[in-house]
Amino acid sequence: MKRRDMLIGAAVSGAAGLATIAAVTQSTRALAQTAPALAPGGVLDRIIKEKKIRVTAEVTSPPFGILDRNNQPDGSEIETARQLAKDLGVELELVQVTSPQRIPALLAGRADVAISSLSITFDRAKTVMFAPPHGALSIVIAGAKKVQIRNAADMAGKKIGLTRATLEEASVPPIAPQGAQMVFFDDIAATMQAMVSGQVDAAGMSAFAAKSVSDRNAKAEIENKFTVRTAYYAAAVRPGDFDLLQFLRTWVFLNRQNGVLANIYKKYTEVALVDLPAF
Amino acid sequence: MSRDFDWPEFLFLLGALRWTVVLSLIAFVGGGIGGLLLAIARTSSHAILRGIAAAYIGVMQGTPVLMQLFLAYYGLAVLTGIRIDPWPAVTLAFTMYAAAFLGEIWRGAIQAIPRQQWEAAAALPLSPAAQLRHVILPQAFRIAIPPTVGFLVQLIKGTSIASIIGFVELTRAGQLIVNVTFQPMIVYPLIAGLYFVLCWPISLVALRLERRIDATLGIKQHP
Amino acid sequence: MKYVFQFGIVWDHLPRLLDGAWLTIRLSLGAFALGFVIAMLLAFLRTAGPRPLRAAIAAYVEVIRNTPFLVQLFIIYFSLPAIGIRFEAITAALLGMSLNFSGYATEIIRSGIEAVPRSQIEAGYSLGFTRLQIFRNIIVFPALRTVYPALASQFVLLMLGSSIVAAISAEELTAVTNTLQSTTFRAFEFYFVATAMYLLMAIGARLLLHAIYWTVFERARPVQQPWSR
Repeated sequence: MKRRDMLIGAAVSGAAGLATIAAVTQSTRALAQTAPALAPGGVLDRIIKEKKIRVTAEVTSPPFGILDRNNQPDGSEIETARQLAKDLGVELELVQVTSPQRIPALLAGRADVAISSLSITFDRAKTVMFAPPHGALSIVIAGAKKVQIRNAADMAGKKIGLTRATLEEASVPPIAPQGAQMVFFDDIAATMQAMVSGQVDAAGMSAFAAKSVSDRNAKAEIENKFTVRTAYYAAAVRPGDFDLLQFLRTWVFLNRQNGVLANIYKKYTEVALVDLPAF
Repeated sequence: MSRDFDWPEFLFLLGALRWTVVLSLIAFVGGGIGGLLLAIARTSSHAILRGIAAAYIGVMQGTPVLMQLFLAYYGLAVLTGIRIDPWPAVTLAFTMYAAAFLGEIWRGAIQAIPRQQWEAAAALPLSPAAQLRHVILPQAFRIAIPPTVGFLVQLIKGTSIASIIGFVELTRAGQLIVNVTFQPMIVYPLIAGLYFVLCWPISLVALRLERRIDATLGIKQHP
Repeated sequence: MKYVFQFGIVWDHLPRLLDGAWLTIRLSLGAFALGFVIAMLLAFLRTAGPRPLRAAIAAYVEVIRNTPFLVQLFIIYFSLPAIGIRFEAITAALLGMSLNFSGYATEIIRSGIEAVPRSQIEAGYSLGFTRLQIFRNIIVFPALRTVYPALASQFVLLMLGSSIVAAISAEELTAVTNTLQSTTFRAFEFYFVATAMYLLMAIGARLLLHAIYWTVFERARPVQQPWSR
């Protein structure tokens, strides 16, 4: 009796489900102009009216996002988010995410702005709208001293840890030689743990992150092997939120002029902020 | 320069344990309501109702919880265009999961009630709904308690999966602390210990209830 | 918000998804085999061994059943290297899945063992069988027959639970899906298809297990039942 029930149910629900999906996607397309929650052109007003802005916070990506001495979120990007909230005159709500969650949290509306060291790439630009960059980073391959990797070709026969949905995931596999094994993790913390525990021979991550790991694990003797690429990172908003995007453009411009962005960057990375191009 | 695992870190873990408990309870209660509806639908006389409930349970029990969570987190907003905050999305996913399993448990309990009970209730002037409410469900309830309590443990353990999408419950808190202290040998076993302290008493209660029900009712738990 | 579904992209990457599904199946079968052997051994010792051993096994079962699988995996993959024991991702996944499965299977098999009528066992003693012989000849077959449905359910749970090993980088179906969706930005399409693949595998497994039950336990009945002489 159960199997027959399931077949009936599967047929009915399948038909109902497909019909619902079709109807819902049709109606949401029609309502896109008037739906209040994700309507383009209304986000900035909504944020100001609700007196709250939701920003993504990745706390496992030093020094952009970390847990401070009191195990509270801190870091250059989180400080940047605080500055944004302050300049807007609203309260900040941090939405904790992992690397793969940064853009989905934005697209799903869980966050209004993604400020989590999102490097500007073509692929990402197709799904989100970037503000002008407010920082720069470089991606390196890092590993223990005893692991011999001088360039991309030396990665052959080694396990290289990478975090999903990051710049290193996009840039390292294309330059990896045959015989290099890419190992993917869902979170930067897991990748770092894998590197320190020896589960991978080396890992791709930002140079800052590698420095942070090596500072905190003198025993593991982590060092940078070679630089893969450099990139600028920026805040991102959902496609269509032009008013918020324009505010961010102005905001980056002003905070570059008054040196606030440079101060935040220097405070956490201990490196001077390079000249940032604008667009 | 890394911090050693100390009291502040332990308190951080306890704080996150709180969210594990809250998430589990919300999903348990919500899933309980859903499960009751599903169980009634599964044992109803309408084939379509039975079929839809069976299909729902079949899908939820035939797919990984992690996938259900990913779909709820990534897919819901995309499909409906409604902005969904993290807590509602995650609790919805676990509630739907709990509803399916509890529905199955309670269906089994309802079906374990001998036909004579149904017939006797029908002999009295009771409508099917009243039969269910006054005769069948109270008896099914007693049979269903031990596996239901047992499922609560499964649910609590299941919430650890939310860590994979960055939701800060106990397991995620553990990952964050390990990332700060680089002492996985201390933190992860400690996390396991905290779950054990939370779950084991509940498992013992379920076991004791099962023994008591077995003794008093004499109805087999495993058909 | 406009979202255009593009399932074609999933189709392009189907080979990789199938590779991942194949690893899921292999991990599940391997963990089932290994876990089953461990569970049989532990179940036997739990009923017939010396008391300290029985207590230790009971403790092991309770720990496995009251801690999350994900945390067990983290301990195997991230914690053990700190004391020098390092397992590669797939090995760690297999080990974790087997141990986790054995925790549940031990209890299930034990209840099956205890369901065998005492009269059968006493008959065995009166014939001069040793404990091991009684186990092999009198207990095993009826016990497994009784608990087969429960074990079959556990196998499906095992297979679905294998999705969690993605967190320690084993490239089974969930991990492959995660990687593909993060590079193509087609999260919903990929997760939808992967979920459908899991559902198909679960249904297939249930049908297969049903067929095995019928072949092993039903058809062979007239000959192998010890009391149907």
